[in-house]
Amino acid sequence: MTETKQRKIYDKVSKEKVEQKLIEIFGSENVTGKSVDLYPYSYDMTECEAHMPDFVVLPENEEQLVRLVKYCNTNAIPIVPYISGNNVGGLTIPEKGGIVIDFGKKMNRILHIDENMMYALLEPGVTFGQLYKYLEDNYPHLRYSYPFAPPYAGVVGNAILSGMNNLSCKIGSMGDSINGLEVITADGSIARIGSCFYGKDEADDDSWWCRYPMPDLMGLFINWQGMTGLVTKCAVQLWPNPPFKKTYLAIVFGLEAIAPVMREVGRIEVVDDISAVSIEVVKMAIEIPEPTKIEGEPDFAALFPVSAKTENQMNAKKEILDSTIKKLQDQGIKVILVDVDEFSRLFNLRVRCYLDLPSVVLTLVEYSGLTWFGSYAPTHKLEELIREVYPIFLKYNVPPFIYMKIMKHGHYGIFRPIIRYKKFENEEKIHQLLEEITEVCINKGCIPYKTPVWMTEKMRKKINPGWLKLFDKIKNCMDPNNIFNPGRWNT
Amino acid sequence: MVEVDDSLLGKEFLEMALDRCIKCSTCKYGYKTFDKTCPSGEKFLFESYWASGRIRIIRGVLSGELEWSDELKDPIFACPTCGACMDSCQAPHADYIVDMIEALRELAVRHIGPADRQELLVSRCEENCNPYGEENSDNEELKKKYNLPDKAEWVYFIGCTSNYRQQSLRDATLRFLKKAGIAFTLIDEHCCTSPMIRTGQTSIVKEYMKYNIAQIEKAGASKVITSCAGCYRTLKRDFDKFGEPYNFEVFHSLELVKQLMDEGKIKFKSSYDKTVTYHDPCHLGRHMGIYELPREVYRRIPGLNLVEMKRNRNFAWCCGAGGGVKIGYPDWSVEISKERLEEASETRAKVVSSTCPFCRTNLSDAAEKYKFDLQILDLMEILDQLDIEILN
Repeated sequence: MTETKQRKIYDKVSKEKVEQKLIEIFGSENVTGKSVDLYPYSYDMTECEAHMPDFVVLPENEEQLVRLVKYCNTNAIPIVPYISGNNVGGLTIPEKGGIVIDFGKKMNRILHIDENMMYALLEPGVTFGQLYKYLEDNYPHLRYSYPFAPPYAGVVGNAILSGMNNLSCKIGSMGDSINGLEVITADGSIARIGSCFYGKDEADDDSWWCRYPMPDLMGLFINWQGMTGLVTKCAVQLWPNPPFKKTYLAIVFGLEAIAPVMREVGRIEVVDDISAVSIEVVKMAIEIPEPTKIEGEPDFAALFPVSAKTENQMNAKKEILDSTIKKLQDQGIKVILVDVDEFSRLFNLRVRCYLDLPSVVLTLVEYSGLTWFGSYAPTHKLEELIREVYPIFLKYNVPPFIYMKIMKHGHYGIFRPIIRYKKFENEEKIHQLLEEITEVCINKGCIPYKTPVWMTEKMRKKINPGWLKLFDKIKNCMDPNNIFNPGRWNT
Repeated sequence: MVEVDDSLLGKEFLEMALDRCIKCSTCKYGYKTFDKTCPSGEKFLFESYWASGRIRIIRGVLSGELEWSDELKDPIFACPTCGACMDSCQAPHADYIVDMIEALRELAVRHIGPADRQELLVSRCEENCNPYGEENSDNEELKKKYNLPDKAEWVYFIGCTSNYRQQSLRDATLRFLKKAGIAFTLIDEHCCTSPMIRTGQTSIVKEYMKYNIAQIEKAGASKVITSCAGCYRTLKRDFDKFGEPYNFEVFHSLELVKQLMDEGKIKFKSSYDKTVTYHDPCHLGRHMGIYELPREVYRRIPGLNLVEMKRNRNFAWCCGAGGGVKIGYPDWSVEISKERLEEASETRAKVVSSTCPFCRTNLSDAAEKYKFDLQILDLMEILDQLDIEILN
């Protein structure tokens, strides 16, 4: 683990002076430099290398952050945004030390829900559980979309890192659902992006309704992992919450047969989401921690949540789904469609964590470590990906945990091999396994998101030089002193 | 691989901390209610003050990445070990989070000692066998007053808080047991050791457990009853955990009341015409899973209108007294109770009742300090105010 003494970040100003400044900005109770407080921020659930921050601060408002950014920019001190540290990519580990900004504790207000234009204006620290409860209590006719992430993962972090959700088959990446951002850039100026861009003063609450059609400056911040500025407000789209909901489970025999099932069901435009897992994961869900597949068992299971405004619409959607499954069966694919409510009763209620989102997915919290190769994938290559990645798990004697999605009815997909492990026992082996999977998947064209530093290092070798040059130019322009989450993407 | 010292009583829980918890933060809030439930995290906010942060501290000190210093004391000891994190966490280690924190404290005591003033829990016991530093009562006077034999089927294990701080609760329980015709006696108790276990100060724990078991056996009892949730948890769970098994049954006074009600033996001749809200003691609720039994009892008291606070049962906000917080962080401890009483006030109840002398003490302290118009009473005290006949 790196420590401050090994870094050269306090050349311009001493660490003691930085602490004084932080206390002046945030108040002593909102600043810590104690090792015991810093340590939990130094690593995450993944294999990514640990680095101690030098300070953690708990901001309450933008004014404080403007002062912080100006100070850090003048003195070249790194700042790293943090909400709950659940990103599975080491994104909040301070690669170069510096100051971790913990948004999750005080900058976590739901600022506005716009019923007419269906969006929520949020501070960065708002969590899925918090937003869900707020909507349930106050706007039950509206819904947000929830990922298979813990309820206390951050909504804004998920959106600006292009996470996914349980409406992904309809709406695609969460990055697309952002209407507007407020950001602090390196010189300490605040910019509003999106339809909220009119006006010199604070934007009206009802002005955050759209992202387009002005030049899309949002691209300077989405997926940049905090490398170009600090996001302090974010407007995300909400959707009508239909009264009729049902989830179906497709059980598929044959390792690669899941791919055409997902693609075909995606294209019929009746399901909200498609998420498939290898059978080993289904077994984990019913409390078999280290399962193996037995011959004759199905290979994959996929969840198809469906929602409708009326019962007739629900029945019509089911009819289309049934006929699609029938067509696939006629093509020789062995697939069975069941009502997931019956399935969950048959086994145990643990399965419900996949259905009643936001909820902690129990299969993910088995041990002290969790990592993945989380990627956007070309859906026409899912068969090849499964074929090549599945045996790598077996080679390392790790139960294959493959998770896939169809996004935006099939325009692209998600391919995500996941590994649960004991951090203090076999991290090295797990890293090797993940590297091997990464190699295969990148060669097939997969694009990892929320990428760890070691992974972007691999990617850089394959990305075209023009892209890299432009990327570096933008980073240098946006962050000339490299203070925003330095080290990410090997900056 | 990290090695854990074999001599630690909490060794297995420290090892568990190495293998479990990805820090998903589910422990921080009520599961599916998304309400605030962790007094420590809500107060201090940094990750080190939540359950998952404490698990990381275990890894830090065991791996040597975190050096022992006095800075570690607050994150390790400023927690009432109320178990709200255990209830919220959905991972396989959920039920053992408090055990892990207690094991961390045991380790910390060896390296940096306990939090300020918590050492008094042991030194006072060493002098007077109770953590309050009061002159030890061998309970002979009470035995005389209530005409109790030396040997009996039941022992009423009074507990230090009831005996030295909440005598009205103790006396109400004694009168109830007499009225019910229970064949019981008292013993010359030593502290049940709950305060020492909760603060990681285990030096006298086994010795005291052995002593209390011997006293109960000497009294010829096959059943032990206590009106203290802390003693109840300790007797029922920790004696076994620390390898001190016994051959008697343990009951909370609440369980006896419920049993007598079920048997139709309690005849109420007056009513308690007040609105009451029940505060779930952590040691009875989250630690022992007893939620409905007290509610059934309150509902069967004529006239009593039982109302619920917003956060109740497994989601109840702790009173703040446990885990060594009352002695180590006295001001904050009462602040925690203040939040509970604010919630109680929202129910329009006039009485906040619990089944634990520790909760009674801290809620009363907060009511007095912050001038709440609420009466704090134990269930046994409510029963004591009523004209009841108990059929033997």
